[in-house]
Amino acid sequence: MIKTPDLIASLAANATPVRRLRPPVTRAACWLLLAAVVLALLAVDQGIRPDLAQRLQDPAFAISMAASLLTGMLAAIAAFLVSLPDRSRLWLLLPVPALVVWLSNTGYQCQVQWIAIGPDGVSFGEATRCFATLVLTSLPLSLAMLVMLRHAAPLRPTTVAFMGSLAVAAITATALSLFHATDATVMILMWNVGTAALFVGLAGMFGRRMFRWVAPRTLAARD
Amino acid sequence: MTDEPRSRIPSLKLVGKDGVSEQGTSSCVYGTGQAKPVVRDVDWTILMARAQDGDGAAYRRLLEEITPYVRSLASRQHRDSNDIEDVVQDVLLTIHAIRHTYDPARPFAPWLVAIANRRFIDRLRRQGRVRARETSLTIKHETFSEPRANIEERSDRHELEGAINNLPPMQQQAIRLLKLKEMSLKEAATASGMSIASLKVATHRALKSLRKMLADRSEP
Repeated sequence: MIKTPDLIASLAANATPVRRLRPPVTRAACWLLLAAVVLALLAVDQGIRPDLAQRLQDPAFAISMAASLLTGMLAAIAAFLVSLPDRSRLWLLLPVPALVVWLSNTGYQCQVQWIAIGPDGVSFGEATRCFATLVLTSLPLSLAMLVMLRHAAPLRPTTVAFMGSLAVAAITATALSLFHATDATVMILMWNVGTAALFVGLAGMFGRRMFRWVAPRTLAARD
Repeated sequence: MTDEPRSRIPSLKLVGKDGVSEQGTSSCVYGTGQAKPVVRDVDWTILMARAQDGDGAAYRRLLEEITPYVRSLASRQHRDSNDIEDVVQDVLLTIHAIRHTYDPARPFAPWLVAIANRRFIDRLRRQGRVRARETSLTIKHETFSEPRANIEERSDRHELEGAINNLPPMQQQAIRLLKLKEMSLKEAATASGMSIASLKVATHRALKSLRKMLADRSEP
């Protein structure tokens, strides 16, 4: 084992100037800007669903969409705050109110529409296009989040990955309801909550490993 | 950290001026008569801010100053002195890897303690895993890895002894001194009183006849 004074000497010799991180809220805003760009590009490419204006009149739909968007924004801010070592863990509670509204609203919608429309309202073609939206939204956002939060690897990898994926999942769900007329109950539930659960679950399982992948070199060598 | 806003201003000024006003500002900090830990925290803040700008000397001083502090924190969680030193080094490496996440506008000690606690907990968890899954070797395990405890080899050795006993006395002595006791030719010559040349010849003949004897025995 190397002696501690020697370690200090070698670390001090390696003290290259570093660029300090910008404030967490600013960084979250940068990420959200990227999310907005991705959504805008998708809107140009795939086109907004035709009945959006009409659907927005429906308070249940509007609330659900606003809540998912808000969840995404707050979860992103929380992820960037919690990734710093000296911030309180209580920031994790930031997106919870919006999350509760979003999920309860989706669940309510589902229950109501199950009776109204029935389960087989969406064709296969629509489902694959939904999947394309899902991947195109979530992949760049997840990668950006992973790289931006890589310094959290030695601190709270699982928690931060969890929060980051919640943000990605909520934004993706918003994108889905913007672009696709997924009015059937099963689809709503599957895409919205299912996507969220998928991302959050993946984060719980692989968050640590993913972070190690992009983590600072010193730690990678050590583990 | 009740007077944190006050400590913010000097630390930020210092970073900008880089070196020239260090004396003045630090005496001003001491002059305000703050409690000692706060002063130290401000010092560490200044040192860390400089280290982020690439000042190796400041960084070295900072690491040297925080090491005893981290060690005392570690000694509350770990008992073994090797463990403590290991975990202290882990903390130092982590600080080095993520030193850009420190914001000089905020106090240094909470940042440090949060990182240190993460490393302590990681280490305790790893120790728990090791204890649950690994068993340390005992003397019983050791004897099996020792060649002398190996039964196969011992029986070989026994047969070899027998074969050597069948050799003429000169060859017996040569092979014992040179091969079994692993003496040099010179040492063997003084020990036996034979010349080096005759030792060589005796060894050569002994090996030849041993090879023949042992090969004959193993053939049928």
